[in-house]
Amino acid sequence: MPAAVSNEERLFSLVLALLATETGLTKADILSSVQGYRQRYRPNGGNASLERQFERDKEDIRDLGVPLESIELPADQGAVQYTRYRIPKGEYDLPADVTFTPQEIALLDLAALAWREGSLSGESRRALLKLRSLGIESEEPLIGFAPRLRARDAAFDPLRAAIEHRHVVVFGYLKPGEDRVRKRRVAPLALVQFGGRWHVHGVDLGARARRTFLLSRIAGAVEETAEGFETPDGEPAEEALDGLTAVFAANRALLELQPDTDAAARLGSRGEPAAEGRVAVHYTDLALFADDVAAFGPEVLVLEPQELVDAVRERLAAVVAAHGGDRG
Amino acid sequence: MADAQPLRVQDRLAFLLALVPYLLDNDGVSVAQAAAHFGVPEQRIRDAVELIAMSGVPGETKAYQPNDLFDIDWDRFEQRDEIAITHQVAIDDSPRFSAREAAALIAGLQYVAALPANADRETVARLTAKLTRSANGAPAAVAVAAGADTRLGLIREAVAAGTVLVFDYLNGRDEREERSVEPLRVESVDESWYLRAWDRSRRALRTFRLDRMRDVRTAPDTPAERPEDIELPERIFQPSKQDRSVTIEVAAAALPLLADFLGERPQTEPARRGWVRTRLRIAHLHGLKRLAAGRAGLLVVVEPEDARRAVHDWAVAGLARYEDPSTR
Repeated sequence: MPAAVSNEERLFSLVLALLATETGLTKADILSSVQGYRQRYRPNGGNASLERQFERDKEDIRDLGVPLESIELPADQGAVQYTRYRIPKGEYDLPADVTFTPQEIALLDLAALAWREGSLSGESRRALLKLRSLGIESEEPLIGFAPRLRARDAAFDPLRAAIEHRHVVVFGYLKPGEDRVRKRRVAPLALVQFGGRWHVHGVDLGARARRTFLLSRIAGAVEETAEGFETPDGEPAEEALDGLTAVFAANRALLELQPDTDAAARLGSRGEPAAEGRVAVHYTDLALFADDVAAFGPEVLVLEPQELVDAVRERLAAVVAAHGGDRG
Repeated sequence: MADAQPLRVQDRLAFLLALVPYLLDNDGVSVAQAAAHFGVPEQRIRDAVELIAMSGVPGETKAYQPNDLFDIDWDRFEQRDEIAITHQVAIDDSPRFSAREAAALIAGLQYVAALPANADRETVARLTAKLTRSANGAPAAVAVAAGADTRLGLIREAVAAGTVLVFDYLNGRDEREERSVEPLRVESVDESWYLRAWDRSRRALRTFRLDRMRDVRTAPDTPAERPEDIELPERIFQPSKQDRSVTIEVAAAALPLLADFLGERPQTEPARRGWVRTRLRIAHLHGLKRLAAGRAGLLVVVEPEDARRAVHDWAVAGLARYEDPSTR
């Protein structure tokens, strides 16, 4: 029995073999000849587990952005259909005219480091490897600076995958003020973070209109359907951010902040001074802003709008009720 | 075994595919230099080089003849720890980014670009175009609108220069006091910015929120006092021995959103329907009352009694501001 070939070596050998072929290799070619498969290949059949291995390896390789193609050839006189596999070199290689300056590399390093936690951290790490591969040294080592982006919402990954696949998704959504989760069918176009919160922007197929949803209000799992959709023209992410910015500008609360408190420090630096020592603060989502304001307890008095006054009072009353009474 | 940790195998494959073009472009590079460039241990480079040198394509004979394999100058490698590829097969260029890798870099770029002295819109647009062109498949639209703190520029400069910073700080107990610190690192979590520093009066590492600082100024000629061997822990918030534990009930759906306080996998036990009971470590009640008041309907402090009472009283005081006409 020959020494076992590591997973790493098998995958590397598969990539090399598929890059080297012009016409493509059949599955039988691969299993019988490529390092890591050939050692386990049985010429007389019974290769089911090896075939499953190959299927998984293909997915792992494609996941890295390697353009592993399957070419279906017309069936020969009713015989088994042939599929040939290859990696076209022209689509594998980074375009020759793409180069980065040392400053750009430094900026991209920082961009990749921002994702050092959670769902996109693996992607960022691998993107950094590919950048390093170009041999360009970063301009200045980035000492003492560690910005961090996060995507903790469970809906983030499935939505990102559905955007990539251009598949319609179905999810339950709890709109503020409604006590029932309603199913939404959405053609997702972009994920945007605004005000520190993730939103998905897309076409609400029920309402037949563009909508932006907060990920934190998605209840339960996001289900990716097999239904595809055409991507509309334009830059959906920018449109979503423009929309949120407009909502932010239009929503303005007038607050009275107790001086020298946490509220004064934090809301004060978010807002702008208004008449009589008051502070005007903008927000995108009334319910979420009401949560933020309620946290400050007596340090904030909301003067307007009335809906915000009501929402904050409602929250504080709920907290009193939940923590009230002498339970002894 | 083949299924174990597929992500790590993918990372290893990505590393090999990135390393080969780098080695081809940097003929005779030392192991130490390559390790520094990729930010990996030297042994990882040596292992990878050995694997590459034994790999290749099946070739016409399907028998991995010497001419079908990579080769290196073994004497140079073994005696001088330098890498010179003498024969190459199948790959010479860096691989393209996957759509997801490009999306992660583009979103990270938008986030860090909003910070002072990083980049202008043109640079971001130019890099976004380059990354999009270098990706295999259209990157999912992921965008981030980041707001920068006005104090950030000065603080970042002080970190880079190692200058002592002095500022008025509103601490977690709502007391304002002057702090003198040796700044070590600026960190962010989405929209929140933190300075991690050696606190000169407390003689310990502390984390400060930028939006609780006032009158930030530098004290350029103050010599550093911190111990030389000080190391910043990876986590921003460190538990302290003085922390106390409180029992809370949380709506199960809200658990991921409390990961900052509870950790990624808190120990929970079922409570009433849809709720779980868990324990939270806190430094003092000032933070807890804000945490609970900002999460009406999602989080209830159960015990100890003084903690429950503190939350109750905080919300009562907040409500009183709306009910007492004299405060308006």
